[in-house]
Amino acid sequence: MGRFRANAFLALLAITLLALLAAGCGDDNDDGGGTGEGGGGGGTLAVGSDIPYPPFEQGKAPNYTGFDVELVEAMAAKIDRTARFQDTSFDTIFRDLAQGKFEMVASATTITPEREENVDFTNPYYLSEQALLVKEGSDLKSVEELAGTTVGVQQGTTGQEFSEKETGAADVRGYPEGPDAVNALVAGTVDAVVIDLPVAEDAVAKQGGVEISTSIPTDEQYGFVVAEGEEGLLEELNEALEKIKDDGTYAEIYERWFKRAPPKEVLSATHEVS
Amino acid sequence: MNEILDQYFDIDLMVDNFDAVLEGFWITIQLSVIAGALALLWGLVLAVLRQLPGRPLLPVRLASVAYIDVFRGVPLLIVILLISGSLPFLPLPEALRIPRWFGKPDPFWYGVMALTITYGAYMAEVYRAGIEAVPAGQTEAARSLGMSHGQTMRHVILPQAIRKVFAPLLNDFIALMKDTTLVSVIALNEVALVGRDIQSSDFNSSALTLGALMFLVVTLPLARLVDRLIAREKGRFSRTSPRGAA
Repeated sequence: MGRFRANAFLALLAITLLALLAAGCGDDNDDGGGTGEGGGGGGTLAVGSDIPYPPFEQGKAPNYTGFDVELVEAMAAKIDRTARFQDTSFDTIFRDLAQGKFEMVASATTITPEREENVDFTNPYYLSEQALLVKEGSDLKSVEELAGTTVGVQQGTTGQEFSEKETGAADVRGYPEGPDAVNALVAGTVDAVVIDLPVAEDAVAKQGGVEISTSIPTDEQYGFVVAEGEEGLLEELNEALEKIKDDGTYAEIYERWFKRAPPKEVLSATHEVS
Repeated sequence: MNEILDQYFDIDLMVDNFDAVLEGFWITIQLSVIAGALALLWGLVLAVLRQLPGRPLLPVRLASVAYIDVFRGVPLLIVILLISGSLPFLPLPEALRIPRWFGKPDPFWYGVMALTITYGAYMAEVYRAGIEAVPAGQTEAARSLGMSHGQTMRHVILPQAIRKVFAPLLNDFIALMKDTTLVSVIALNEVALVGRDIQSSDFNSSALTLGALMFLVVTLPLARLVDRLIAREKGRFSRTSPRGAA
């Protein structure tokens, strides 16, 4: 019995030490960041994003990259701040923003009336549509043919909404990440994926074995997002976006990620906050 | 206070989404029952393999012990992700790679597999406790009557052992049922995913609360049943061996 006690005590001691050690490391990391809220943080801008979603956001922490990431970094520079990206889950991203976990969201986010009830959008920075992504050689050529099929989407996206409301699919599966849905397509567990066109193009280029059978015109505009009532930050971001559109930084980043010049419409696109 | 009520107990939202949440919970029930039954069987097989006698069968015993150790120590979520992420790519017949048996989607069956694999290991340990709690005299008596190891197990040890561990097995089943919500990460529309979808579109958790209430309707009576079974087992013990109290 005595020996058992001694062992149990040693185990407890070891666990406590480990916990302390872990807590110590955690503190170090926290010091490096700062939440960017209120005082203390000063120059940082906390940005929530669901990573990966190539080509908009990709890479490993903390060296994220992608179209959204570079745009926000350029915009942050214009307002003398340093963007600090934080990976988070898309299906709860607006709630987290509203709760103040970060100051803005840059996550290939389509401006929709439903979302505007709870958050505010900047001017559009990207014009998008959806794509029907299928396996190479699939006979699914149009949205109409999706009736009765299994469609993969990312949870909480406009692609999910579209698939559930407009396609007559027998089963719409919401995956936690966009690439999960593409993997399910490659594995053959879903018949098609409905996802933002540039993400589908990226998957075709990088993953192989899949192709875009058709694009789905949905007239979507991406905007950056701030919590309701953050008019000051919203205005700053709109001005910064305007500046990088004017000085050519925007076009340069756009061409780097999409291999073509940005459409004229996006350069002048504005959005009224409702 | 009102905000708490709004966020978690928005009655209108619960009423509006009741059918959807119930449909998700029905999938949870089916997943629990099928995986639970298979885990009970698989756990028993593992426990029996672990008790096999003799030197030639040592590798079987070791394999069984290794399996139980590994899957008791690996998180269920990781097992789920390992199966669903790569099983479809393995060189297997399609019915195994992408199982859609009985009209259920493949994430359902990946969930069944992961739960069976993991909970089989937990339950094997429960069976082992039961087997080891049967007094050695029982085995000795059976063997001296000329029964083989297999016969002793089947007719003498296991019937007593299983009766002893019925309550802890049921406890594991309750835990398994709650863990089925993890299968939501591979896009199975069970109750947690249905609730999350509503949560993300409505900024409100009431659909998840409703799902939690549905769980309680099933798990609370089961927990009470476990308590009663334990009480009964204790009663039996003190009656049949009055001197064994110490």
